[in-house]
Amino acid sequence: MGSTLGDWPSFDPHNFSQLRPSDPSNPSKMIPATYHPTHDRTLPPPDQVISTETKNILLRHFYQRAEEKLRPKRAASEHLTPEHGCKQPRASASD
Amino acid sequence: MFRSNNVVARIFQRQICTPAPGTSVHCARRFYENLVPSCTIYDVECPDHSFRKFTDDGQYLISFSRNNQDLIVYRPTWLSFSCKEEDCDSYDLPLKAKRFESFFTQLYCVSLASSNEFICKDFFLYMESNQFGLFATSTAQIHDAPATGGAVQGIPSIEKITFHLLRLEDGFRLDERVFHNDFVNLTHSMGVFLYDDLLAIVSLRYQTIHILQIRDSGNLVDVRAIGTFCREDDELFLNSNAQRVAGPHQLPRNHVENGLDHNQINMNNSFLSGIKQRLLSFIFRSISNEETDKTLRMQCLKKKFYFRFQDYVDLIVWKAQFLDRHHLLIKFGSVDGGVSRNADQYPAFFAVYNMETTEIISFYQNSADELYLLFEHFCDHFHATSRNPLSMSFISSHSNNIHALEQLRSIKNKSSSFSQFVKKMMASLPFSCQSQSPSPYFDQSLFRFDEKLISATDRHRQSTDHPIKFISRRHPYSLKFKIKPGPEAGSTDGQTKKICSFVFHPILPLALSIQQTLFLQSSVVNIHFRR
Repeated sequence: MGSTLGDWPSFDPHNFSQLRPSDPSNPSKMIPATYHPTHDRTLPPPDQVISTETKNILLRHFYQRAEEKLRPKRAASEHLTPEHGCKQPRASASD
Repeated sequence: MFRSNNVVARIFQRQICTPAPGTSVHCARRFYENLVPSCTIYDVECPDHSFRKFTDDGQYLISFSRNNQDLIVYRPTWLSFSCKEEDCDSYDLPLKAKRFESFFTQLYCVSLASSNEFICKDFFLYMESNQFGLFATSTAQIHDAPATGGAVQGIPSIEKITFHLLRLEDGFRLDERVFHNDFVNLTHSMGVFLYDDLLAIVSLRYQTIHILQIRDSGNLVDVRAIGTFCREDDELFLNSNAQRVAGPHQLPRNHVENGLDHNQINMNNSFLSGIKQRLLSFIFRSISNEETDKTLRMQCLKKKFYFRFQDYVDLIVWKAQFLDRHHLLIKFGSVDGGVSRNADQYPAFFAVYNMETTEIISFYQNSADELYLLFEHFCDHFHATSRNPLSMSFISSHSNNIHALEQLRSIKNKSSSFSQFVKKMMASLPFSCQSQSPSPYFDQSLFRFDEKLISATDRHRQSTDHPIKFISRRHPYSLKFKIKPGPEAGSTDGQTKKICSFVFHPILPLALSIQQTLFLQSSVVNIHFRR
């Protein structure tokens, strides 16, 4: 056939019949485009570590919904969710 | 990927074609369209045991003796026979080959239950990585048991439930865990969930989820007990504070044992259990965060929380499953629904609980659309698959199989009310582990079969005289094989109801069908295999 594929056998003899052999005297006009960054704002931070999320997608959805539900809607509602400090025994009446 | 249905052509094609990325197992499973258990040995003479299931790696067949006291384990093999004729395929199998022993060799018989105990036939969990098997024996159930020692009123009691951990290779008993005067739902392994090496046992009577770890050495180690207390040191903290409050003259320090008991009884009266406290505070916070206006918020809380406060307090844990190593999906409901068979009519709630932080992450009612959407999209993640067995992720569900999804959609469209449909779907959550057979013959993308007569879930079904057809899903959509339970000529007695169960080997084209009448013990066992 004279094409770059040579005389390799093919399942259907009509396959690759349209292919024209590449002509060295007429180089292809197709030059693949290359892109270069013009700034470095989108560079990853030097200490970035990419790892797999341990929570599976179902749990991620549960956590996402929980965050939406429990996100305080205004500043005054913050006192409803007390600080998660270590357990402190409350002063008992007999003390 | 395969152009032809011929197995030889497929093998040649497999040599040169690479399957599409991520589908190598699916392509390999397509060979099961060619190797089907089409040959049946009817009413094979076999020992009178109840054959339970094959382990998921296909190494062992688990069966129990009729008196439910012994465990008998077989190794599945294959028959071998010689034929001196020229065209052997046309000849029927020699009688000597058509035996139970051709396919199964007995490895050992171990007695699990003592005189007044019985093996729970429905219960069996397999830990594939170490080839450990978990079995349960129990004494008789006592209904109307008094609610002593923190037990919930209305839940029956079993005097002794023992979980036995055995090494299936040789039947060696590794460890056991005993629960006294407790109740764990053992039918179809519903009250126990195995995830990797973690075991969650739901004690309905004492409302505790016991988390145990199965070590490689075969020991059952307690990890935590969620219920009255959430963190491991809660009990210690509360006891040390209660002693301080009561004063040293009431509780002498050296009699710590008595003191703890005394405090425990006090605490059961005054404190809600740890998990209940977490649940109520989560419900409170999520309701109060809905409204920004103070008066509206109070109204909302009154209507949705305080008005229903006692109902929330009366909720009990029904069932639990692992979602991953740290998270549990817990189903809550009323006491009545906890033990009834038809729990659909009772309202139920789902909560996602993080065992490490002891926080409730989500709380839904069983009619919640949001939860149903997550179930529809991520059903496979509810079937919490551990890292090891590959076969588990190929069990057809509506999240990984287009045909199963179409089935689900057709049920959804046919149902009259969407909320009823959602409740019906949610009734299957939390899933029981290892309840579906990994056999490729149940793969919905390979075969089509009548789900009412046979399916991957191992439950007893109504038996029919007609054979169950397995039709291929792909062109030419032809009948591939039939499974006919019961004797070859059909049953002479058409009146008595018969139930049958199917035990499919996970890898080999081998299946057992066991048909039995409801009241008589005798059963007809057929072996279906590829000749």
